Amino acid sequence: MMKKIILQLSLSIAIFFGLWWGLNKINWMDLMHVNAATSKTEQKIGDLIWEYYENAEHEIKDDSTQAVIDSLASRICYSNQIKKDKIKIHLIQSDVVNAFALPNHHLVLNSSLIEACKNEGELCGVISHEIAHMELDHVMKALIKEIGLSVLISISTGNRGSEQIKKAIKLLTSSAYDRTLEKEADIKAVDYLIKAEINTNDFADFLSRLSNENESLNMTWISTHPESKDRAKYIKEYATGKQTANTPILEKSTWENFKHRIKNLSHQSL
Amino acid sequence: MSDKTLSIQVQEHEAERASNSYLMSLIAVIAGLPLPIVNLIASFIFYIGNRKSSYFVRWHCTQALLSQFSLLFINSFGFWWTISILFGSEHISNRYIAYMFSALIFNLIEFIATIYTAIQVRKGEHISWWLYGDITNLICKA
Repeated sequence: MMKKIILQLSLSIAIFFGLWWGLNKINWMDLMHVNAATSKTEQKIGDLIWEYYENAEHEIKDDSTQAVIDSLASRICYSNQIKKDKIKIHLIQSDVVNAFALPNHHLVLNSSLIEACKNEGELCGVISHEIAHMELDHVMKALIKEIGLSVLISISTGNRGSEQIKKAIKLLTSSAYDRTLEKEADIKAVDYLIKAEINTNDFADFLSRLSNENESLNMTWISTHPESKDRAKYIKEYATGKQTANTPILEKSTWENFKHRIKNLSHQSL
Repeated sequence: MSDKTLSIQVQEHEAERASNSYLMSLIAVIAGLPLPIVNLIASFIFYIGNRKSSYFVRWHCTQALLSQFSLLFINSFGFWWTISILFGSEHISNRYIAYMFSALIFNLIEFIATIYTAIQVRKGEHISWWLYGDITNLICKA
């Protein structure tokens, strides 16, 4: 009797898992248009958040600086088969050293962060890190974790007020990601930089240098990213032996002019 | 599932009570959705209440209770998976949808089997389920 029960129990469990396995072979995500619905939600949330943020901050709209930023981002994207057109880069006048990604591929760079970069490699490191957050779907993951899918859907349908949008902005501009996600984005950024033939040491040096200056400057990007010295260390370790080429994107004078222009535009705006 | 005739004569009130044990689990499933534990608790209370009844009633109360267990595991897992998607860090995936469909199929089979058993038992027939019938035989002694 006991043998029969064990056999029947095993068979029942096998039938359930077999059914699950079989049904898993069907592409339900496409069949039920789940991906399309999710990306539409992300699109709506991203645009709503950006609209709100844009109204609260001052965006620097300058063709020559935008062209320089675009050329840096283009190298990273094209070398890594990422569609550059979907990424919307915004330059914000701010004395806070920060950069962050919003849903629907909005990448925000503060003018002070660019001013803090000593060379194009450092800025490319930051851009790669934020693109990695986007490509690894960290932005929506963080929002879902902290705010909840149900609230996000109601934001996208216009049923939630500005309080939830404010909460989302506060989260994404500060400590949105835990240490695991940050490390994942750092490693992915290093991969992007290597493929784009950009010096990964610049990215590591940027982290290392800014962590020393953390107390004298308003370093949101560093203070919200845990243990920058550790990050610089594992970035250097990971990149060892992988970097095969290093091809500059901008002329040295172009970079200097770009920084000078950013400085002028920031002070004009202030 | 198989129809078996018991050697004992089933009285009208016994058939009614035994049949009610299945109906109890059904009503509790509807009332307790989406919390899968409610139907198990309801069946357990009904089982406790009929511990000292006749063999026929006890046997069917036990089978009705045991039959809740597989769904308890399947539905609890599905329930917490859904919660972690809605409020946690999980994402809707192909695996999740496939699991929910598997759970739905098992729930439907159990639902139909429970209704069928409740009707047959009400007529005084002895219905023994695949797997649960044998476990009930082990637990329930005449």
